[in-house]
Amino acid sequence: MIDRDERETPGLSRRRFLQGSAMAGFAAFLAACTGTKTGASTPPSTAASASAPAAASASVEPTASVAATPKVVTGPLKFANWPAYIDLAGKAGDEGVYAPGSSPSLEEFKKQFKVDVDYEEKIGDNSAFVETIKPALVGKLPTGWDLVVLTDWMASKIVANGWAEKIDQANVPNCVANIRDALKGSSWDATNDYHYPWQSGMTGIGFNAKTLKANNIKEPTKIADLWNIPSDKVTFLSEARDTFGLVLLKLGVNADGATTTPEQLQQAAADIQPLVDGGLRFTGNEYLQDFGQKKVWAAFVWSGDLASSGGPDDKFVFPEEGTLIWTDNMLIPKGAANKYTAELMMNYVYDPKVAALLEAYIYYVSPVKGADAELKKLDASTEGNPLLFPTPDVIAKQHNFQALSDDNEKVLNDLYAKLAGN
Amino acid sequence: MTAATPTARSAPRGPTLRARFGRAVPYLLLAPGLIWLVLFYVIPAVQMFTYSISTGTLETGFTMTFGLDAYATAIDRFGKQFLNSILYGGLATFFTLAIGFPVAYTIAFRGGRYKNLILFLVIAPFFTSFLIRTISWKILLGDEGPLLAPLKHVLHVLPGNFSILNTAVAQVAGLTYNFLPFMILPLYVALEKIDVRLIEAAEDLYADRRAAFRRVTLPLALPGVFAGSLLTFIPAMGDYINADLLGNPSTRMIGNVIQNRLLLQNDYPVGSALSFILMAGILVAVAVYARALGTEQLTG
Repeated sequence: MIDRDERETPGLSRRRFLQGSAMAGFAAFLAACTGTKTGASTPPSTAASASAPAAASASVEPTASVAATPKVVTGPLKFANWPAYIDLAGKAGDEGVYAPGSSPSLEEFKKQFKVDVDYEEKIGDNSAFVETIKPALVGKLPTGWDLVVLTDWMASKIVANGWAEKIDQANVPNCVANIRDALKGSSWDATNDYHYPWQSGMTGIGFNAKTLKANNIKEPTKIADLWNIPSDKVTFLSEARDTFGLVLLKLGVNADGATTTPEQLQQAAADIQPLVDGGLRFTGNEYLQDFGQKKVWAAFVWSGDLASSGGPDDKFVFPEEGTLIWTDNMLIPKGAANKYTAELMMNYVYDPKVAALLEAYIYYVSPVKGADAELKKLDASTEGNPLLFPTPDVIAKQHNFQALSDDNEKVLNDLYAKLAGN
Repeated sequence: MTAATPTARSAPRGPTLRARFGRAVPYLLLAPGLIWLVLFYVIPAVQMFTYSISTGTLETGFTMTFGLDAYATAIDRFGKQFLNSILYGGLATFFTLAIGFPVAYTIAFRGGRYKNLILFLVIAPFFTSFLIRTISWKILLGDEGPLLAPLKHVLHVLPGNFSILNTAVAQVAGLTYNFLPFMILPLYVALEKIDVRLIEAAEDLYADRRAAFRRVTLPLALPGVFAGSLLTFIPAMGDYINADLLGNPSTRMIGNVIQNRLLLQNDYPVGSALSFILMAGILVAVAVYARALGTEQLTG
């Protein structure tokens, strides 16, 4: 269990610390993430940029088949991401909601490349977001977005449908050099032609300790404990994979996308139905608001959110039965107007120092090699935090419920729609 | 355009129009409205109907199969949501009428010089977006919100886990609130038109105030009741925002299913079939309602 207080030094809050360090020491290292291949259009950077990415870019072989993207920075970069998924400072940081100008890393990107970034917390649910851009993708029209962040299962579909722009690897030397080995060679885009991971995370249980205590309910340690809390005070996730995966774990079924059967999914649905009858709801990232308004006492949540954007009594627990692991990925939707700028952004966030800055706020697992070391330098209190550095015990009980057969997915969607009243 | 010649200018406009365009005149005058209807109602409706008898998805394209599977699924599986729509839409209409009639009556007969101000106040909430107003109810009705928190922690009249938000009560309340002005305004117009001398006459003929209300005011206000309940019931029945924000999975209405099918599940055939059934259902309901109240009297 992660206690909020454990990772904040009394008197100097993490965010306050970050604001200070972001402003002071930032300029020096940021030049490093520019990459050397950005060409003439890149604003002249300091001497530091020459040394750092040299190693990275040396290993890059530009893929011949990629039509060279004009290396001109254009903007504004339209960037759609999930809530609580970027570093925030000041008032926005306290409220946990992005406002223009509130993210130190984005501000630095803007300054460095002299381009505007229109960052929006637009994605609370993979399907709900993709359905908004699908008509454009099907019609071969621009979606209006240059960079989107989607979970494995959805990202794989986007790539399979040919709806993602091919990344010019020459423009993303940091990504090539720094992507963690465990994330390389995904089944759906083995050579990272179309995606680079944004963050990995886990799905587990979140709860409000104070409300539970006031109502004499024991803090949940396992998924099954949620069945003992009044159902109208509980929410599950509208990402059907997350909800069903955890319920399968509760039922003692191995939540592995490859071995799951439709019968098991049926069982899970039958297990959830009584809760729905009792008032259970399904939400996307809006559970953060529900926690804020004390509307929900316990819920299925994603690992970093409550630590970054929840209240002091909101806690995350790795359930005894296990957690689900997933990765959200950056993709450039087909027809993006500012593809080169999107690649610059990918490259930028793969600089270990920028990655550390993100991590120190959002509390997810970084895909960037070397971010760990930078993070410990930036904020020593993060060391040993299992949200950022999952312990062997947690890792042993991680399950991947992302890849489902078409048939299983159909069954899953249908069962979920029935539960959700749709 | 009709006054092209000096002689035409001196002539009255009507006959000149007729002289130039003959019997086409009424159609020409109707043309803008008709074109609008064809473009934005008839064509989409036909398109929707073809989707409903097709199979396929946006990605794979649609093939017309003339099958009625989508309709079977729609009725079979979503009966509950249709019933919810009728029930909650009906309740909301009833409550708007119950709340709106006294308000409209007071404005029409007792408003005096404040009439316009009160009318403005009725419409004022509309200056804020529908979504914002509905989301605000989430805060107002929240478990620890301004309504429940004092009742729970100060007066101790409610148990700690009591909630209104995400129940049918909140949902009907939201619908009632959001559509109230649509009831008040037509009622006001109908009541305002009533000649006060008719009520005086009734009283002169020994009707007490109650009888005068029942036999004179109410029948004359019926066109307003009719218009108001249509304006409330139809959108309330198809609404999905209130159910989405204030209800729970068991209180979903047909609008939620249509939204979900078309926008999330990419299931155009069933979504279209549902829309078609809803449209047909509303048409039938309106026809029955009009017949029951007597259209002649209502619109005349």
